Amino acid sequence: MDLSLALSTILSPVVLFFVLGLGAALARSEMSIPEAFAKGLAIYLMMSIGLKGGVEMSHSAITSQVAMVFGAGLILSFTLPLLAFAFLRLSSKMDRIDAAAAAAHYGSISVVTFVAATQAVKYSGLESSGYLVAVAAVMETPAIITALLLAQRGGAGTKAPVAGSERGELMREVFLNASVVVLVGSLAIGWITGEAGMTRIAPFFVDPFQGVLCLFLLDMGLSAGRGLRRGWRQLDAGAVSFGIYMPLVSAGLAALFALGIGMPAGDAALLITLAASASYIAVPAAMRLALPKAQPSVYLTLSLGITFPFNLTFGLPIYIYLAELVSR
Amino acid sequence: MHQKRRLELIIERMALERAGRILEAAGLTGYTVISAMSGYGGGVRWSRGSDISATQDMVVVISIGSTERVDAALTQLHDLLDDHIGVLNVATVDVMRPELF
Repeated sequence: MDLSLALSTILSPVVLFFVLGLGAALARSEMSIPEAFAKGLAIYLMMSIGLKGGVEMSHSAITSQVAMVFGAGLILSFTLPLLAFAFLRLSSKMDRIDAAAAAAHYGSISVVTFVAATQAVKYSGLESSGYLVAVAAVMETPAIITALLLAQRGGAGTKAPVAGSERGELMREVFLNASVVVLVGSLAIGWITGEAGMTRIAPFFVDPFQGVLCLFLLDMGLSAGRGLRRGWRQLDAGAVSFGIYMPLVSAGLAALFALGIGMPAGDAALLITLAASASYIAVPAAMRLALPKAQPSVYLTLSLGITFPFNLTFGLPIYIYLAELVSR
Repeated sequence: MHQKRRLELIIERMALERAGRILEAAGLTGYTVISAMSGYGGGVRWSRGSDISATQDMVVVISIGSTERVDAALTQLHDLLDDHIGVLNVATVDVMRPELF
């Protein structure tokens, strides 16, 4: 990937709208996108990408390479929190519970970063496969289990259940949260209805996609900027640097998997992006139920305020470049 | 007018269901939930909808009941607030229709 291609990724309307929101929030602009509208946009984007992935999956058989990519996604999601936890404990002053909760975010994925990556891959002239959407869904939750085990080793999970809690509530949150339900459900609908079904809804789910993504990323920029402005005091220099080097470490590990499996560049770029991204929707909600003593302002500021902007601006060109390197 | 106890709990949205179960188990006959707009606490400013996960959103739960029922809920709510972000206050109020509580 040459410099002009990297610049075209950074200077795409999608990224620039994100930067606009981020800058506006950091400058204390009162601009906002109505809450319910933003949630609707998020559901629209997940439905759209799930449907497209499902339709593409309906065209192709599940090969051994596809199975290996799913395996790689699972392994990465389970193990990256171990690495993230060790780095956080070594490089920051975070206690065990905060470090475990933050680590979970780095093993899970960000659907929005993934969506932006699919567009960046397209801008780069590469092609990607639809099944990566299913890999994204698979990578959403294993990290939560690893984080709970990490916290329990320190005694955080061995005390009596939280008052008012009920059996199965965490599992419901982990496996039936909005992003998993919408993503997996849309994938299944796309797979069942195929190209014929997609043609009928394309004017709504395909044509306006880019514009909706711009609107949503404007809102995400505002969220990231406000989160950073409010929560930066909660993070020390070690934690801030972790928010930037950890995605690069995860990307490096995913690139090794892509190399071993022999993935094409477009698919490799998406797997690398999934590993490098950090959750800020599914995992924070699960952590509030499972590890309520962990401070949300710490892990949300880290994943949403630092890693997400880094990935969207500088990370994506790096990941595409890395994918091209390991796919030669 | 008749004297009852009014319980006001400001708690993170993610713990709302847990708080609701405690109030129901204590025998309180009803409660109302109001979405909080914004605030400041623990050195952090927060506002509704500031992050898409909504994990930093707060709600206000208001319930009115007899002293016995409110007291029964208080022990469990104290334990809940040991884990979750929130504050609780109880006041004596006058109600017109005591049979509702």
